[in-house]
Amino acid sequence: MDISADDLAGGITKVVLRGRFDTTGAVVVELPFNKVATEKQKIVVDLSAVNFLASYGIRVLLVGAKVVKSKGGSLVIVCPDNNVAKVLKTAGMDSLIPIYQTEAAATAALAS
Amino acid sequence: MIAMSNARASRLVLRNDVAELERLAGWIEGFTGQGTSPDVSFAVQLCLEEAVANIIMYGGAKDDAIVIAVELERNCGALVARIEDNGQQFDPTRAPPPARAVSLEQAKVGDVGIHLMRSFANGMDYERRDGRNRLTLRFVEPAAPSSE
Repeated sequence: MDISADDLAGGITKVVLRGRFDTTGAVVVELPFNKVATEKQKIVVDLSAVNFLASYGIRVLLVGAKVVKSKGGSLVIVCPDNNVAKVLKTAGMDSLIPIYQTEAAATAALAS
Repeated sequence: MIAMSNARASRLVLRNDVAELERLAGWIEGFTGQGTSPDVSFAVQLCLEEAVANIIMYGGAKDDAIVIAVELERNCGALVARIEDNGQQFDPTRAPPPARAVSLEQAKVGDVGIHLMRSFANGMDYERRDGRNRLTLRFVEPAAPSSE
């Protein structure tokens, strides 16, 4: 699994995760993901290239969202694949972390 | 030891080491690659990852040698997974559902694995036999027109 982060306009940071977000993958991206969550205020997490999500991956996303929220910032998810979206919803994450289907909708929400 | 006369069943033995999860994922992919829908493959991957990760992380003390045997089998149109381990007794079918968090601040981290297993498998049975946990998960392909 890998992770990259790019700054977009408006102080928004886009984090792209790629691969299997299972226990093995989550262990790899956990530290860099937490670093972004600690340093940035407005974060879009692009899950379009994540083909699998298990509970450890959910934990990483939730911890990151909590860290950002505790600083008065916001973290949103964009473009989860069908089954990944189903995992997020089943785990109740859809009511805690906003999920958008397009990057434009996600960045618009963060800009407001 | 790997001799298996039934080509429709497959068995994998794992140690209680997180590194084993990668081997589990590859093994499941090899099994489900043969005519399983992407949704059922995803469900099998998810439920077995959660079940085995639970045993590895909570089945015993770090130095305990826990042996986890996973079997996958096609049976009457369903895919059946059996997970057997000699870790401490744990019945996931009796675990309470996680509390629905009302806010991000109050949301508890963790506790969703068993809930995911319940939701993505079509059936989940547990028994404790001869000092071992035995969990059986069933996955059913969505109804489709049959040509048989």
